[in-house]
Amino acid sequence: MKLLLTGLSHKTAPVQLREKLAISEALLPRALQELQKLGATEAVVLSTCNRVEFAVSTSDDVEPGPVLDQFLVDWQIPRAAFDGHLYRFEARDAIQHIFRVASSLDSMVVGEPQILGQMKAAYNAAKTEGSVGGILETVLTRAFSAAKRVRSETGIGHMAVSVSYAAVELARRIFGSLNGQKVLIIGSGKMGELAAKHLRRSGANKIFVTNRTHARAEEMARLFDGRAIEYTAFPAMLHEIDIVIASSGAPHFILNRDEMQRVISQRKNKPMFLIDIAVPRNIDPAVNEIDGVFLYDVDDLAGVVNANLKEREKQAGQAEAIIVEEVELMMARLRIEGVTPTIVNLQEQLEEIRAGEVARALRRMQGLTPEQAQQMEALIQATTRSIINKIAHGPISELRRNATEPEGDQAIEVIRKVFHLQR
Amino acid sequence: MGESSIIWLRVAACLYFVGLIDAIATILRRRESFFRVAAGAFSIGVMFHLVSLVEESLAIHHFPATDILASMSFCGLIVAATFLAIRWRYKDEAASLSVFIFPLVFLMTFMAALRSPIATWSSVTVRDTWLVVHIVAELLGYAALLFTSIGSVLYLIQERQLKRKVVPSIYRMLPPLGTLDDLILKSLSAGFVFITAGLIIAIVWAFIEHGTRWIGNSEITLSFVTWGVYLALVFFRVSAGWRGRKAAILSLVALAFCGITLAAHAGLQNRLL
Repeated sequence: MKLLLTGLSHKTAPVQLREKLAISEALLPRALQELQKLGATEAVVLSTCNRVEFAVSTSDDVEPGPVLDQFLVDWQIPRAAFDGHLYRFEARDAIQHIFRVASSLDSMVVGEPQILGQMKAAYNAAKTEGSVGGILETVLTRAFSAAKRVRSETGIGHMAVSVSYAAVELARRIFGSLNGQKVLIIGSGKMGELAAKHLRRSGANKIFVTNRTHARAEEMARLFDGRAIEYTAFPAMLHEIDIVIASSGAPHFILNRDEMQRVISQRKNKPMFLIDIAVPRNIDPAVNEIDGVFLYDVDDLAGVVNANLKEREKQAGQAEAIIVEEVELMMARLRIEGVTPTIVNLQEQLEEIRAGEVARALRRMQGLTPEQAQQMEALIQATTRSIINKIAHGPISELRRNATEPEGDQAIEVIRKVFHLQR
Repeated sequence: MGESSIIWLRVAACLYFVGLIDAIATILRRRESFFRVAAGAFSIGVMFHLVSLVEESLAIHHFPATDILASMSFCGLIVAATFLAIRWRYKDEAASLSVFIFPLVFLMTFMAALRSPIATWSSVTVRDTWLVVHIVAELLGYAALLFTSIGSVLYLIQERQLKRKVVPSIYRMLPPLGTLDDLILKSLSAGFVFITAGLIIAIVWAFIEHGTRWIGNSEITLSFVTWGVYLALVFFRVSAGWRGRKAAILSLVALAFCGITLAAHAGLQNRLL
């Protein structure tokens, strides 16, 4: 069985090329059928905005390369335009690539979780079309387990890598659960809206909106199922608010140190999280000096994102080690599966010799009563079976043992030759 | 002390006990409607306390501040009356003071109310069990304070990291401030209940066992100081919302006092028969 994967990704091709190769969901079944018609035993197509990949497995007598080349020709994909952009992985390298992609190590944002879902969708589409059911299926299902292991054993997906998620992550570090936390949005900046959306999704569902233009506040409040507050009234209710998102266009500070000192005393020092994503800033930076107040501006949030990205890179190193381990396990498993026909062949050959010899011996026996003949046959059958089992035990053990070792192919070949076995 | 004046003092102590329960309920965040009842009981308690003092003065023909217990009772009355005056002046704005005042006044009056022997041990088993309950309650209180201190220090570190915009690695991520705050408050409340119960049990035990001879003993004074620090910690946390640096320092001071008190009482088990 041969395995080949070809395709391109954000690392090798710009979007103008990726979109040319992309295969829509509607065309996916046809593409899979086409690949099978061209000689692929199995075929899977992964088409996302960041990568388009084709993986096929073929029987030993079919070369998978020409199958994929012909497929691209049939789909009128101009090969010349993709020269230098397409990558191609075979056998072990293909398996490793699939494992890395599933674990989000090859993603644009390392550790992002969407790719695993997209790969599962590609696998399900192939399953529906009946284009998986052998080695490729085994590889994919193992890749999903490897991705799960990477997620649970490293912190690769735990840290926020966008400014708005960083705000949610910080809010969690301050409040723990965000359920029931009150959020006030000042102004109508797009980033503020996004951060509020993420906070709301994380449980902070009591949202208040204020704006110099009250109609705009009402409009935004409707988006979040929240309440619009008169701009002049919001300072009086600040002490009830846990998270403030400031993103107004005011050219000066709208919250200063004295004001916040009053608010925090009213709250009996209960922590408060202030997110200032306005430029120019809306909140006096000196506010962060007050005990219990945590003020983050755009640069601070970007700093958190950068630190998280670095952390993800560190985690990716650990993840790569897990992938190497998982690929080795997969290869060992495939090798064991590869020697299974040889083992069956050996057992059949020995059984054939044994059965022939037993039949000949039984024919030669004369002058025995039916009872004696029956007893004799049982004895010969048992003895000869025991002999061939003992003979087969050594080579079968060696076949299995060598299958799991990287350099075991030569020993397997010798055993095949000694016993005149087929491959 | 006159027989009837001590009875009035004991009635006052019982009424102040309602105040203690209210303070504990406040710490456990179950106050809601109980404060007014407790404040009423406390006010009536002050009247009984005053009656007791006047009667005692008439009986002995001079002001009853002859020994430490009488002085303590008088001091308790002054504190209680001052609290009522503050409350009358500032209404509910001064209610949070009760978390500190109610337990303090109760303890002072309670000690004074036990000066005449109230009972003797019915059996050695009761006496020993009483002492064991005291030890267990105190140890539980100290253990709870240990959690409060650990929580407070972690709170302080997490607060510093958040203030300085430090992003720790995933494996060094501390619990959220909210979670730590909850742990601190719960362990602090439980600890205060245990340590107060332990102290009351100890006072009763000591009175029955030794009369008033134990008062002034340095070990005992240390226990009271420890309870006072614990009370201050609870008060600042509940009424002023102390968190972060101040709370961490005070909880560590309280823990140190607990440690010293524990060491001073290390020989207590020898008193078990």
